[in-house]
Amino acid sequence: MCVQQEQTSGEVKRLERCLNDLVSVLALPAMWSGSQPSQIVHILLDALLGMLYLDLVYARFADPAGGAPIEVLKIAPSAKSMVPDEIHKRINEWFGDDPQKWPSRLRGSIEEEDISIVSQRCGLNGEVGLIVSGSTRADFPGQTEALLLSVAANEAVIGLHEARLLLEQKRVAGELDRRVAQRTAELAAVNDELRKEIAERNRAEAALLENEMNSRLILHSIPGLVCTMSPAGEVDRFNPQILEYFGKTPEDLKGWATSDAVHPDDLPRVVAAFTHSITTGTPYDIEHRCRRADGVYRWFQVRALPVRDTADRITGWYVLLTDIDDRKRAEVAIRASERNLNQIINAIPTLAWSARPDGSAEFFNQHYLDYVGLSAEQAKDWGWTVAVHPDDLNDLIAMLRRMIATDQAAECEGRLRRFDWEYRWFLFRINPLRDESGKTFKWYGIKTDIDDRKRAEERLRRSQAFIAESQRLARLGGFSWRVESGQITWTDQLYCIFEFEPGGLVTLERIGSRVHPEDIPLLGDMIERAQRAAGDLDYEHRLLMPNQSVKYLHLVAHGTQDQDGQLEYIGAVQDVTERRLAEEALTQARSDLSHVTRVTSLGVLTASIAHEVNQPLSGIITNASTCLRMLAADPPNVEGARETAKRTIRDANRASELVTRLRALFSKRESTTEPVDLNEAAQEVIALSLSELQRNRVILRAEFADDLPEVTGDRVQLQQVILNLLKNASDAMSAVNDRPRQLQIRTERGQDDQVRLSVRDAGVGLDPQVMDRLFQPFYTTKNDGMGIGLSVSRSIIERHHGRLCAEPNDGPGATFSFSIPPRQGGASDAE
Amino acid sequence: MRNKEPRIIPSSLVSVVDDDESVRESLPDLLREFGFTARSFSSAEEFLASEYVGQTNCLILDVGMPGMSGPELQRELKLRGQHIPIVFITANRDEAVRPRVLAQGAAACLFKPFSDTALLEALNSALRHD
Repeated sequence: MCVQQEQTSGEVKRLERCLNDLVSVLALPAMWSGSQPSQIVHILLDALLGMLYLDLVYARFADPAGGAPIEVLKIAPSAKSMVPDEIHKRINEWFGDDPQKWPSRLRGSIEEEDISIVSQRCGLNGEVGLIVSGSTRADFPGQTEALLLSVAANEAVIGLHEARLLLEQKRVAGELDRRVAQRTAELAAVNDELRKEIAERNRAEAALLENEMNSRLILHSIPGLVCTMSPAGEVDRFNPQILEYFGKTPEDLKGWATSDAVHPDDLPRVVAAFTHSITTGTPYDIEHRCRRADGVYRWFQVRALPVRDTADRITGWYVLLTDIDDRKRAEVAIRASERNLNQIINAIPTLAWSARPDGSAEFFNQHYLDYVGLSAEQAKDWGWTVAVHPDDLNDLIAMLRRMIATDQAAECEGRLRRFDWEYRWFLFRINPLRDESGKTFKWYGIKTDIDDRKRAEERLRRSQAFIAESQRLARLGGFSWRVESGQITWTDQLYCIFEFEPGGLVTLERIGSRVHPEDIPLLGDMIERAQRAAGDLDYEHRLLMPNQSVKYLHLVAHGTQDQDGQLEYIGAVQDVTERRLAEEALTQARSDLSHVTRVTSLGVLTASIAHEVNQPLSGIITNASTCLRMLAADPPNVEGARETAKRTIRDANRASELVTRLRALFSKRESTTEPVDLNEAAQEVIALSLSELQRNRVILRAEFADDLPEVTGDRVQLQQVILNLLKNASDAMSAVNDRPRQLQIRTERGQDDQVRLSVRDAGVGLDPQVMDRLFQPFYTTKNDGMGIGLSVSRSIIERHHGRLCAEPNDGPGATFSFSIPPRQGGASDAE
Repeated sequence: MRNKEPRIIPSSLVSVVDDDESVRESLPDLLREFGFTARSFSSAEEFLASEYVGQTNCLILDVGMPGMSGPELQRELKLRGQHIPIVFITANRDEAVRPRVLAQGAAACLFKPFSDTALLEALNSALRHD
């Protein structure tokens, strides 16, 4: 029972396993559904190998597509020792190509291993394929195993068939797709080609259009006249401008060669050039006149260019007519102008030339060449310098160097040799010609004959030099002075005298800065006089130079009024310092001499008076002494004393006589009496002493009464008095340096019809203490005075029944005056 | 003629040479009052020609005279070896005269008019040197 049970239990397990395996095999199609045949085979074989515990399993299926059969061999891991190649070889030996001969089972050995092989045909006749299963188990295959194999083979066939169908379907579908795709691609390609072609055509069309538009645009907007010609030269297209210009229709214009479009004078030339170009295919360029619509001919530049195709054939001509009338006229004008200029340059009476920037000459006018007697070839570059005087050549070259170095106009003077070898003076003047950037690209020069001027200059220079030298030697300067404008012109020598820089501006202020401070009033007086009225000036004044030296100047000038009524003085100023110093020295010497003489003669006189007086005095004293001694004797010598006393009296008488004689000696002159005009007398004195007064820098003002009566008296004595008063006044101011040395002399009718003459000075004035001694003899305040002037003057005036008096001024100085009665009946005499 | 001056050597001859008459008149009287013997001459030449040159103890000589002047006479006497003391007198107040004549050996030089005492002093001085 137990065995049975065990058997039963084993059977059940086999069945269960068998059923499970069957289920698994039947489930296989679900696994391989949609797979490739080879995948199906692999799935199948893996399932069999596992389910049946096989050592090996092999399947071979024909490829429905006719390709290589599907061959798969799988070996159980336990049968590793079996080599696949060996197995294949054995299987191929056992199972040939003919399915009819395939054994369904066999027992063979592989690699020394016995193995049970079962084959399973697939398909009705095995045409589908073969499944070979092998197991080392001897009882292989059992019943269930055979069942499973058979089911599996069927499943495989179905599966493969389905797969084959599927493949076929896929293949067909793929083919269809391929064909559709191919066709589509072909269509697309065609389409594309078509599109491209269309696009190309469009583009070409557009380009053509654009080109044409551009052409037209260009044609229409060219600021010129444009047309095109056929290869044969027939005009076919025009722009509007050309039609407008000519005022013709295109038809008219086509016949240009026979119309008046081209100026008749130019037509033969134009036709010739045109014909030449058309026949030879060479570009055409000619200038000629074209008739405008209004009948005016204008100059055009006409250019024609051939247009060629790729084969270099001429397909047409483009013709451009450019209006060059203005340029042409300008050119004509320029040519005329140049011709004119050339004529001028050659005709102008100057030597004209031009040079390159380096100074080398490139052009000479005809006059130049004729003058120097050189050819243009000889003169060019530096050849012309042979005509320059050798002594002037260095100057000239220096001038050219300077000119180039500074890039500035330059000039110099020099002698140029004439064709006949005579040298004449020329002014060489050269100017740069610059381009727009200011760069000098040419020098233009002229050489002007200045020979006459030069000689005149030379003469003038010599003359001026002579004058200057004379003036220098004479220390004499000239001047002119326009009083109103204050404009003062000096000669060089005057600058020299004043020691001013030559040429500097001269003003009265500047002159004043040099004038000796003590002479400023004198200058003021002169200016005032000069401004008052035109007259003659004659002044002497001093300059105080910066080095404190003093110069004496003598100025003479003559005043005139020009047409405008302008007062102008022209004069000369002489530096008389040396003369003045000499004069002063002389005056001093004379003064010294006169003083010495005076002192000497006075001394001699005194000595002689003294001698004359002393002799009797000596006798008187000696006699008196003797007399006293005689009387003092015991007994007194009375007789002797009487004798000596008598002699004393005699000698005293002698002395008295002597004095009387002396007085007679001193008053020899008899005075005369005559009618005297004090004004005249005073003017004579002034005239005599003016120079002396000026030397003492005294400014004299005279005011004479017009209606002054005459006086009776000694003219010379009265003039001595006037002279004395002037001299005293002048002397009284000799030390005055801080104010003008003004001296005023005036005549007037005084009280009681007396004629009064007064002399007013600005000198040291009068000391009240000495007023009463002024007129005493031998009273003097002067070092060199005798002290007799005023005393004598008073005597003279008193002899004229007049009165001499002195009074201090309110300001500085004193006034001395005398008054004399008028001539009795003088007025009636005069009438 | 009385000798009242004890200092004076009696009989000393004083010669006066002067062209001025009043001097020739007055001076010998005063000299005699002094106690001298006096002689007067109107010129140098006259004196030189006289017999008194050798006898003269003192000479009163005018500087400025027509003809030979005082100083010229002084030189002449020196040349002749006549060393007579000289008192010059002059009417010219020329200060240059005095030192010149003194340098030439004059005993004194008086300016006219001079006092009697000045003359006496000069004579005393001259004779003392003699």
